Amino acid sequence: MEDLLKPDYGVLVLTICNFLLLVYLLKKFAWNRIIGGLEKREQQIAEDKAQAQQARQAAETLKRELDEKLTQISDEAAKRLAEAVKLGDTQKEQILAAAKEQSERLLAQAKAQIEAEKNKALADVRGEIARTAVLAASKVVQQQMSEESAQSVVDRVLQEIKAK
Amino acid sequence: MDVAEIISHHILDHDWGVTLSGFRIPVTTHTVTLLIVSLVLLLGLHWISLGRQSRAGRLLTTLMEEYVSFIRDGIVLPNMGKEGKSFLPYFCTLFLFVLCSALAGLIPNMKTATANISVTAGLALCSGGLILYCGLKFHGILGFLKGFIPSGTPGWLVPLIFPLEVVSMIIKVCVLAIRLFANMLSGHMVLICLLLIIFVVGQMHIAAGAGALVPAMGLELFMTCLELLVAFLQAYVFTLLTSIFAGSVIHTH
Repeated sequence: MEDLLKPDYGVLVLTICNFLLLVYLLKKFAWNRIIGGLEKREQQIAEDKAQAQQARQAAETLKRELDEKLTQISDEAAKRLAEAVKLGDTQKEQILAAAKEQSERLLAQAKAQIEAEKNKALADVRGEIARTAVLAASKVVQQQMSEESAQSVVDRVLQEIKAK
Repeated sequence: MDVAEIISHHILDHDWGVTLSGFRIPVTTHTVTLLIVSLVLLLGLHWISLGRQSRAGRLLTTLMEEYVSFIRDGIVLPNMGKEGKSFLPYFCTLFLFVLCSALAGLIPNMKTATANISVTAGLALCSGGLILYCGLKFHGILGFLKGFIPSGTPGWLVPLIFPLEVVSMIIKVCVLAIRLFANMLSGHMVLICLLLIIFVVGQMHIAAGAGALVPAMGLELFMTCLELLVAFLQAYVFTLLTSIFAGSVIHTH
C-alpha cells in the first residue's frame, strides 16, 4: 500500500507528454474549429440582435410619425366635420326660410286666385240671376201676373239659387 | 490473497514490463488508460469539429459549443479576464481529460488513471507550468517575482513574505495533485471495500454472505453514482483552481 504515494517518474513524464501533446493536437484539429464556430455563431447572433434593435427603433420611429400624422388627420377631420355641420345648418336654415317664403307666396297666390275665381263665379251667378229674372219677368208678363207675384217669384228663385 | 492485497491489486498501477534496449518504457495500466482516453478524445472531438450535417453530428457540435461556452464564460473569463481567452483550448482539454480519465475507471477492465499520484502530479505540473508561463508572459521575470509581494508590505518584511508566497504557490500546485488523487482513490477504495464485505461475511457463513449481497450491492450502486458526481466535480475543481491560480498571477495585487 505504501506504493500508493511513491511517484513513478516514467508515468509522470508520460502523463505530461501525453497531456501536452493532446492539448496541441486538440487545439489544431478540434478546438480551433469548435471555438471558431462558436464565435462565428455568437457574432451572427450579436449582428442579428443589433439589426433587430435597429429595426425596432426604426419601427418605433415610424410608429411615432404615423401616430402624429394620425392625430393631425383626426384633428383635420374633426375640424372639417365641424365646418360641414355648420355649413349644413346654415344651408338648412336657408332652405327652410326659402321654402317657407315660397309656401307663403304660393298660399297668397292661391288665395288671390281663389278670390278671383270666387268673384268671377259670383259675377257669373249674378248674370245668371239677371237672365233668370228677365226670363221670369217675361213669364210673369206673359201670364199677366201682378207685380207682387212677380216679386215673389223672383225671391223664390233667388232662394232656390242660394240653397243650391 | 488477503484483503489488503486485493485492495492493492485493485488500486495500484500495474507495470507491463516493457523495455527498449534496457530502458524501461512506462507502459502501465494507467498510462494505457490515459492513451486510450486521449485517442478517443482526439478522434471524437475531431469528428465533432468537422460539423457533420447528420442529426447526431449537429447535436454533438451544439453540445461541444455549449461546453466550450461553459468553460469560457464560467471558468476562464471570470478568473483570468480577456487575457485567458488564448488559453481556452488548454482548459477545455484539461476538463475533459480529467473527467474522462476518472470515468474510464467505471468501465470494466479499465482503471481510474487519476487515482495515481504520478498522473495527477503530471497534470498539476502542467498547470504549474501554465501559471508560470502566464506570469512571465504578462509581467516579465521581475514583474512576476514582484507579484509575490503583496502591495503595502513594509520593506523589512519582504524577505520573509517573498519565500512564503513562493512556497504558497508551490503548495497550491501540489494540492491540486493531491486533491484529485485522494478523491479518486478514496472513491475506488470504498467501492472495492463494499464488494469485499460480501466475501468477508461469506467466509464466516455462506448464508450471511448471501444476506450481505443485497445491501452491499445497493451501497455499491450508490457509491458508483457518487463516483460519477465526484468525477465531474473534481474535473471542475481542478480546472477552476488552475484558472484561479493563473488569474492570480495575471492580475496581481
